[in-house]
Amino acid sequence: MAERRFDDSCAELSVRERARLASLIATDDRKKNNTFGLHCVFSLPRKKTYETLTTQIAAEQPRYPSLTPRLPSAHAFEREIFEFFGIEPVGHPDLRGLLLHEDWPRGVHPLRKDFSQGTKPERTQGEIFRFQKVEGEGVFEIPVGPVHAGIIEPGHFRFSVAGEPIINLEIRLGYVHKGIEKLAEGRDPLQAVDLAERISGDAAFAHSLAFSQAVEQVALVPPPPRAQSLRVIFAELERLYNHLGDIAGIATDVGFSFGAAQMLLLRERVLQSNQRLVGHRLLRGVNIPGGIRREPQGGALQGLNDFLSWLELEYVCVERLYRDTDSLMDRVEGAGILARQVAEDLGGVGPSVRASGVDEDLRRDHPYGLYNELKFAVPVLDEGDVAARMLVKMAEFKQSLALIRQVLATLPDGPCSIPVKIIPGSGMGWAESSRGEILHWLRIDSDGRIERLKVKSPSFSNWPLLPWAVKDNIVPDFPLINKSFNLSYSGNDR
Amino acid sequence: MKGAILWAQPLLLILAAPLITGCVKKLKAVLQNRQGAGVFQPYRDLLKNLQKEEVVSETASWIFRLIPYVAFSATAAACCLIPVVLAGSALDFAGDLIALVYLLALPRFFMALGGLDAGSAFGGMGSSREMMIASTAEPAFLMVLFTAAVQTGTTRAGPIAAVLAQSGWGAFGPGAALAFAALFLVALAECGRLPVDNPATHLELTMVHEAMILEHSGRSLALLEWASQIKLALFLTLLADLFVPWGMAMSADLASLGLGLLVLALKLLVLILALALVETSTAKLRLFRVPDFLGAAFVLALLGLLSQGVLKLGL
Repeated sequence: MAERRFDDSCAELSVRERARLASLIATDDRKKNNTFGLHCVFSLPRKKTYETLTTQIAAEQPRYPSLTPRLPSAHAFEREIFEFFGIEPVGHPDLRGLLLHEDWPRGVHPLRKDFSQGTKPERTQGEIFRFQKVEGEGVFEIPVGPVHAGIIEPGHFRFSVAGEPIINLEIRLGYVHKGIEKLAEGRDPLQAVDLAERISGDAAFAHSLAFSQAVEQVALVPPPPRAQSLRVIFAELERLYNHLGDIAGIATDVGFSFGAAQMLLLRERVLQSNQRLVGHRLLRGVNIPGGIRREPQGGALQGLNDFLSWLELEYVCVERLYRDTDSLMDRVEGAGILARQVAEDLGGVGPSVRASGVDEDLRRDHPYGLYNELKFAVPVLDEGDVAARMLVKMAEFKQSLALIRQVLATLPDGPCSIPVKIIPGSGMGWAESSRGEILHWLRIDSDGRIERLKVKSPSFSNWPLLPWAVKDNIVPDFPLINKSFNLSYSGNDR
Repeated sequence: MKGAILWAQPLLLILAAPLITGCVKKLKAVLQNRQGAGVFQPYRDLLKNLQKEEVVSETASWIFRLIPYVAFSATAAACCLIPVVLAGSALDFAGDLIALVYLLALPRFFMALGGLDAGSAFGGMGSSREMMIASTAEPAFLMVLFTAAVQTGTTRAGPIAAVLAQSGWGAFGPGAALAFAALFLVALAECGRLPVDNPATHLELTMVHEAMILEHSGRSLALLEWASQIKLALFLTLLADLFVPWGMAMSADLASLGLGLLVLALKLLVLILALALVETSTAKLRLFRVPDFLGAAFVLALLGLLSQGVLKLGL
């Protein structure tokens, strides 16, 4: 009997366990056994585990039946693998370039092992990228970006509109692709945390946490208890400042400047508190495989307790201001509704989909570090509009405050880190960042160097949701809806 | 003497307009706990833009280059139709408030053309939105002006202000109060202020006025920005003229002119404060709610007109 097809097994697992495709990882194993490896990571929230299905693809004819027709969430992953490894998913509906643009020569696959780091291929005049075309009377296109009027990251948005209502939106990213996965190859895992911190600036801690946990899993070294506690504190501090910024952004985009200024003020205070704690506003240079590199000095942690009390008092007032401002709530309610079905089918993660009724949070469903021992609620709403996304973040803000307090109350003494001895193998680390699931899949070779690092950022999972959320809304509401997701371009492009 | 003062009035308005915008911005900053730029910053911005090189889209026609001049001169001409410090205006003989409405419509028409002419997607969106807003704002604006006209029996701004100022506080009846509120709402829409349009936004997709002038640069941009600053100054002055003209100079002697100037400055300051408060505390309306907003202005103005008519005719 023939072996079961890979796409069948994947589809079957996803149906049986209601599993979510978390990441799809390709590896170049041609040196070892003349194949490419394909690893499909599923999240099984019911069993509180991740499950990985693996297949091997012959190097002479690198193709396999595409997963996308039955698992729509594999769409972007397969496009990326086609581009970076040259492995063709047969039956994939759309294999246009994802991150590499027209000027990148076709047929050059940068994540293959025979493409050495630092290679600079000649710029080419490739085929022009064809956007989806909507035809009909009165339908016209609005191209926006990649350079925008505000100080934000680059991305191209192509709207097809009939008057003001949006019929279709296509998003083209990749402008800030930095080749981080390639850069990591050959590095000492202990020295690669800085790369992880640069995947997305405002998720520096969450990315370094996921990466460190991946290394610790390979090396079988659990970090000491004090480091575990401090990691929760920093991870939640990062969530605090990001949620404050996200909520302020919503107010800014509807022109409610007073509310925005108040929220941004609080965000700035959290950043200043971070600076006092560890000497970096965005918590860079804190994590290291094996624990915490920079321990808060002397009274800083005591000061943190007082600061959190102050922050909560102030925050409650500002939140009430938001809820009581009818002109603001009128704008956010009913705008940009993301249906639960779409969120689930496309594999969305984080607060953006928790506002659409998808009840999943890695801290509870795939507990890592200390989270198993902590008490917290996972706020979920069903409306799926901008208001729901804002309210979920507001509720999470309070949960994060409570989490930090719990940890501070029982902070153990002892060392902050232990030395990690690197051994070959592969492992996976994850963290729930303020945007959702971060997944770092790591393989270390026999020299103790990184052979492959695959980074799945929450933005990579959530960008495909945005076109569905803006459909049938009007053009001037797009910035608001976009802001309510607040996705990272850099995190998506890596 | 009087003639010179009458011609100096619009000049004062034109020159003080950037200061008024600067004050609004400063007040908004203070209300948001920010320091903000100085009140003279708009002058510096204008000077900077006047000296800059201009870049014009390849698809643009001669109309595009003409627009800043049309916009600036039409708005400046509109300033000659209203009293500022002295109860009278330079062109009282030539045009009334109806002419004012059309002098303000002229730049809008050209700017909307310019938005289309430059060939960018944002300009076209700005033009279509501006026209939608204008078509609902103009009837309300006219209705307000008729309220004042019915009360005083003339459609010329100078005599209206003079008649009202001399008839004592009783002239500010319920009709005038309703019309005042209506004109304030219209002013928010006409000048592209919140909650109709956000003058401070960087989001191209939400812009209305800013989207239309997005392709202008250098001297053109300076003139267009100056024109919109003058328009704001004009609307605030008109609010003071038509509804609370007390304190305005009736004769061209130095003492009453000085007092008139002082009183005007105070009135403008109060209006600027009101504007800054509105802009700080409200969010922008969803685009398709703007006609409702201006519909409310229209109804207010209509009620004002009716109650004014009832009082006037003694029914």
